[in-house]
Amino acid sequence: MAVFSLIIINKAGGLVYQREFQPGLRKLSTNDYLVLAGTFHGVHAITRSITPKLPLVATTTNPPIAPTTATTPTPNVTSPSSTSTPTPSSSSSTYTYPNPGIPATGLECLETDKFRLTCFQTLTGTKFLLFTEPTMVNIDVVMKKIYELYADFVMKNPFYQLEMPVRCESFDRNLQGWLRGRT
Amino acid sequence: MVVYSFYIFDRHAECIYKRRWLPRPASMVGSKSSRPTSEASAPGLPATLGQSARTTDDDAKLIFGTVFSLRNMARKLGGEDDNFVTYRTSQYKLHYYETPTNIKFVMLTDLKSPSMRVALQQIYINLYVEYVVKNPLSPAEHPGGIGVNNELFEESLEQFVTRVLS
Amino acid sequence: MTQPARHAAMLSISNGGPNAVAVDKQQSQHIHTQSQSSQGLRVPSNRKTIYDRHLNRSRSAELSRASFAFLFAEMVTYAQRRVTGIQDLERRLNEQGYPLGLRLLDLLYYRTMASSTSSSLSSSSTSAAPPNRPLRILPLLHLIHGPLWRLLFNRPADALEHSVSPETPNEYMITDNDPLVNTYISVPKEMSMLNCAAFVAGIIEGVCDGCGFEAKVTAHNQPTEMWPGRTIFLLRFGESVMEREKVLERAGVK
Repeated sequence: MAVFSLIIINKAGGLVYQREFQPGLRKLSTNDYLVLAGTFHGVHAITRSITPKLPLVATTTNPPIAPTTATTPTPNVTSPSSTSTPTPSSSSSTYTYPNPGIPATGLECLETDKFRLTCFQTLTGTKFLLFTEPTMVNIDVVMKKIYELYADFVMKNPFYQLEMPVRCESFDRNLQGWLRGRT
Repeated sequence: MVVYSFYIFDRHAECIYKRRWLPRPASMVGSKSSRPTSEASAPGLPATLGQSARTTDDDAKLIFGTVFSLRNMARKLGGEDDNFVTYRTSQYKLHYYETPTNIKFVMLTDLKSPSMRVALQQIYINLYVEYVVKNPLSPAEHPGGIGVNNELFEESLEQFVTRVLS
Repeated sequence: MTQPARHAAMLSISNGGPNAVAVDKQQSQHIHTQSQSSQGLRVPSNRKTIYDRHLNRSRSAELSRASFAFLFAEMVTYAQRRVTGIQDLERRLNEQGYPLGLRLLDLLYYRTMASSTSSSLSSSSTSAAPPNRPLRILPLLHLIHGPLWRLLFNRPADALEHSVSPETPNEYMITDNDPLVNTYISVPKEMSMLNCAAFVAGIIEGVCDGCGFEAKVTAHNQPTEMWPGRTIFLLRFGESVMEREKVLERAGVK
């Protein structure tokens, strides 16, 4: 049940917080962490954009889904071959995501042999990256608590400037204390 | 479980094979040949499923960029012997397997699927090595997908995905 | 209709419950004010504005800690504009608290009176209730340490001390292990001397002044292993207060 480290990325992709709790991952230089945060920010956006799009014909049995999933910007682009093979008149067909009820997100959880990375993006665009052991369970609870502590000790701190690096001693203290209390 | 797509990237970061299994709208079934079209031999072939060939090409590039970045990140943090295995979003799962010769196998599935690491390894050993590497007519490198898009490989991949995995 | 209720009140008196009387009186008075305010003022449909509520009823009312935290954060940010240094910032926070202390004193007196004397408002003027106004330093400090702290933070302060140094007999210290105002505040390293509880120091100063004790109150960090936010409020009483204290001591006033 080891939590290795936590990274917070602001909505512009800048690293605002990095802290190690338990050894297990290699240490990087500050610059490398900045690069990592920026890279992850970009990859996160790409993972969302490569979500498989399932074709959906509006005239078939499931029309109620069609208007809600109209988030896909690309309407039906007719294939180049459509001139030779006549496409059916259902040109109003569009795409749906595999889970139409849920909005498409970027990467939420990444696994490697050595660690598991859980990414939680708040509705305000801030990303929390939690590195844990691959076997760790109940990461949701940890993530929720971290967000709560962030809302309390970072956002309520009059000396914290939004989108800037988090240097809040009481946030560190409470975070560390809570994680220690769990293990 | 559902497999959405499958990609192979060679050591030059080029996509040498891509294949998508998207459920087709009922109205389009029959308008094409019954044989599943592979997009590996992309240049001449029309793209399936009403999406332009351009976007599928871009998709392959985006996927390569993603797995490449994530693999580097995993190695940076976990050490040189660490491997990026899989990630998931709210919509899909991406599975990754890299051979010692730097060939990268990527598969996109739905969220219910278990780990596909063994499956990707089997595709490599039992299909790719058997029908592509051992094929005397196939070139050593596969620029533009030449040599990978042979009938034996495609047929057996199709069988593997539709019978073994689902 | 009122007959049975009065009878019940009589019963409770004989049963030795002075509180029951107070409650009964409060209720009747409450109804009274309600009927008065019905004309001229715009009131909600249920005719209960915040002014109609009895002052003692809001005593145990809860307040959102988050709204206070955000409000206080904005107050600190506001005070931080155009300040020349940490001392200047603390002075501004102190000045924000000072009028609050002066005004709070009336409510404090009112409530300590209501709870300490058994009789209700109407009879308190005639009965020989003990004077509540502190005349000497110690009762004042107890008023701050206990009732004031309970009114503000719902608990008494953690310690009350007198300076041990013979040169500064006018210095007293009140300790709060974890000041509510500082709960969510992390002071940047370059401002490590700053303590935002200077605002609370201002409230204390206002209370002291309102009682007729001229004093300067400052807040100081004194972290311990267990209480990283421990704060000492240092009260320095003025010369005139100390002289009066000597006179009163000789006169035997407590």
